[in-house]
Amino acid sequence: MANNEKGYLALVLHAHLPFIRHPEYEDFLEEDWFFEAMCETYLPLLDIYERLTRENVDFRITMSLTPPLCNMMSDPLLSGRFQRYYNQRLELSEKEVARTRNTQFYDVARMYERKFKRIRELYEDYYHRNILEGFKKFQDMGKLEIITCGATHGFLPLEIRKEAVYAQVKIAADDYRRHFGRGPKGIWLAECAYNPGDDVYLKANGIRFFFLETHGIIYGSPRPRYGVYAPVYCPSGVAAFGRDMESAQQVWSAETGYPGDQRYREFYRDLGYDLEYEYIKPYLHSDGVRRNMGMKYHRITGRVPLNAKAPYNPQEASEVAASHAGNFMFNRERQIEHLNSFLGRKPIVVSMYDAELYGHWWYEGTDFIEYLLKKVHYDQQTIKLVTPSEYLGIHPDNQMVQPSMSTWGDKGYNEVWLNGTNDWVYRHLHKAVERMVEMANRFPSADGMLKRALNQYAREVALGMSSDWAFLMSVGTAKTYSTKRFVEHTHRCIALYEQIMGNRIDEGYLKNIEWRDNIFPEVDYRVFSTAAAEKAAKS
Amino acid sequence: MTSSGHIKKDNNDPGSDYKSLPEGYGNTEAALLPRDPNWMFIYWEITANSKAEVCKTHGSDIFQKSKQIIRVYDVTGTGSIGTVDQKYFDIPVMVDAKSWYINVQESGRAYCCEVGLITPDGRFIGLVRTNTVSLPVGRVSEVTDEKWMSVTSDFEKLLQLSGVEYIGKGSGEVAKSLAQRWEMLRAVFSRASSWGVSSLSSHTLAKPPLSKAFWLVADCELILYGATEPDAYVTVSGRKVKLNTDGTFSMRFALPDGGMELPIKAVSKDETETREIKIKVSRATNTDGK
Repeated sequence: MANNEKGYLALVLHAHLPFIRHPEYEDFLEEDWFFEAMCETYLPLLDIYERLTRENVDFRITMSLTPPLCNMMSDPLLSGRFQRYYNQRLELSEKEVARTRNTQFYDVARMYERKFKRIRELYEDYYHRNILEGFKKFQDMGKLEIITCGATHGFLPLEIRKEAVYAQVKIAADDYRRHFGRGPKGIWLAECAYNPGDDVYLKANGIRFFFLETHGIIYGSPRPRYGVYAPVYCPSGVAAFGRDMESAQQVWSAETGYPGDQRYREFYRDLGYDLEYEYIKPYLHSDGVRRNMGMKYHRITGRVPLNAKAPYNPQEASEVAASHAGNFMFNRERQIEHLNSFLGRKPIVVSMYDAELYGHWWYEGTDFIEYLLKKVHYDQQTIKLVTPSEYLGIHPDNQMVQPSMSTWGDKGYNEVWLNGTNDWVYRHLHKAVERMVEMANRFPSADGMLKRALNQYAREVALGMSSDWAFLMSVGTAKTYSTKRFVEHTHRCIALYEQIMGNRIDEGYLKNIEWRDNIFPEVDYRVFSTAAAEKAAKS
Repeated sequence: MTSSGHIKKDNNDPGSDYKSLPEGYGNTEAALLPRDPNWMFIYWEITANSKAEVCKTHGSDIFQKSKQIIRVYDVTGTGSIGTVDQKYFDIPVMVDAKSWYINVQESGRAYCCEVGLITPDGRFIGLVRTNTVSLPVGRVSEVTDEKWMSVTSDFEKLLQLSGVEYIGKGSGEVAKSLAQRWEMLRAVFSRASSWGVSSLSSHTLAKPPLSKAFWLVADCELILYGATEPDAYVTVSGRKVKLNTDGTFSMRFALPDGGMELPIKAVSKDETETREIKIKVSRATNTDGK
């Protein structure tokens, strides 16, 4: 039985949301992004891991849980608001079960009621309001490998100062340790954005591997002998795994991708717009504007207007997800058999996706993952699921290649984060970073209020570095919010710099922004010092 | 990373607009950023003091009578600007533009830029210099590795297996894919026609039918860019263009076969001055069907 496999499959889910937390408002629309992802992706995934473990299905999966996400998941304020969020929806779904009795929507209404009950049970009874406990449990069991990401999902190739690159990695590694009790072995570079040489800062933080878009590997030098089907070692010795495009396209392709199946749930037809206003109003935000509730009763149906969508059938959709999982596995088996004979080595196929694709955007995507993990366990012997750490343990013999600069964004390089909609941010961001470095060098051992102000500057500058702001400006969704966030953090940096350098720190102001931007409670501003980055580069 | 809503109306306190950020930081400095194998972005700030210094040395009308340029140095190998035989080319620019996109023919090289003036007698006065940027090669390496060598034809096949044709189209961005579906839905509703290619998404090359083993697809687009006074009113083909804060603008167009005229017109804020540039582009694609 052992070693019969022809190759490996690594399923990698990148879970990330920008740090959005607004204690200054009673309720805040953009915080819903986190609550939606909790209900639709993160908790359902944990539910799957619970079920598979109970059924003795062995599985392997790799997930990045980015530092902003970990900080939101462990935040008491957001936890309270999340409970309010799912309790409201549970109440609505119970009303809906009564309202839809004897209609074609009854089954789907009951599905939501069950779902929100289960969310509550998992969140409160299983994980005691901190779902990082759940993820840690499966990591400790060896089934899940949790990797980190740049501290605030910073886009590293557009940073000029190496101090900033080092700080993004170091803050992340320290934060990971705080949540998971050991250092991270792997990292997801935000947007898979790799700049040759930055891997030395990963190595200095004990990180052994990261992921690249396909051309990051195949445009590497010298030519990679196995393409993306074996990792390569960067000159620093850190391993880079390349993305398999065939499996990516199978899920992503606009024409043939699974999520477009017309029996799946339609994302854009939502109860928030369908129900009578007075009935839905108690569940809307305080401004009373109709918005998505995350409860949807229709299926994609086909190329028809929203008002012509047919009712959703949960049972049927689940069967489609099972058949898509079967199709995905079949294709991986054939792919791996073929690669094995072609390469003369057991290939590793790395399938990487945004975690939020599964469940949030593609509602049945979490079912798909569950079916896939089960089928791989029960129905075949060609593929073995692995985590990157396991793979490197089995195959430490890999080629040394300098990978190419690359990202997983449109056109493969930096344009999504550097174009006419967002290029204005960089002169401000770079200045804020430069000033952080200047202060970290100038105050090697601050204490008291000065230390607090410097640490808060470190939080603000890190938050300004999130690639999310430039991304949202680029795609045009939530552009106002992302612009406002970038501008706010920049303003806070400017104000703190003036206060610190002028030796007139305003404690009231400092306290206020400490309360708002409370990410990384244990941050040490000295991670931005030139000495720290230089020491890391030499290690 | 996902998004599903709009900002609350009462959530827009003053100061949240990017216009509230400083115009400059009082330092003469410049930075160069890599965008892709053939494009870089440069931004700079040249303070009034620095300009005054230059005027003091070279005459008060030096900015008016000189050509304002970005000098792009190829510093591959050395990482810094040498003295003899230094390779470079110049791009005419307005010093007040404060940023620019730079196209280079050769990928995989290291570049460094200097914003400066060329005096009427041909001397170069450097105003501010950038960091060095190494651009990616953007293609398969020529270098092979003896220990890990493979036969060339095998490597070609390996490239195909690795999905070389998907490069740059493997975007993992959920929002993008969903936005496309949303656009599709809207198009079904309204039959909206799209003008140009304003977003990132619209154009993808269709994969040929699987029956053919060897294949080639190619297409091209047009990037139009420029700069004027930030408060000017600019139109391209009669449609208003949104300027960036610094007065620059750029847009991508689909470029079908045939001729296309792009009249660009800028009107000053007080409507007393007008500048016009007309660009004619033509494209002919020849596929012989072989």
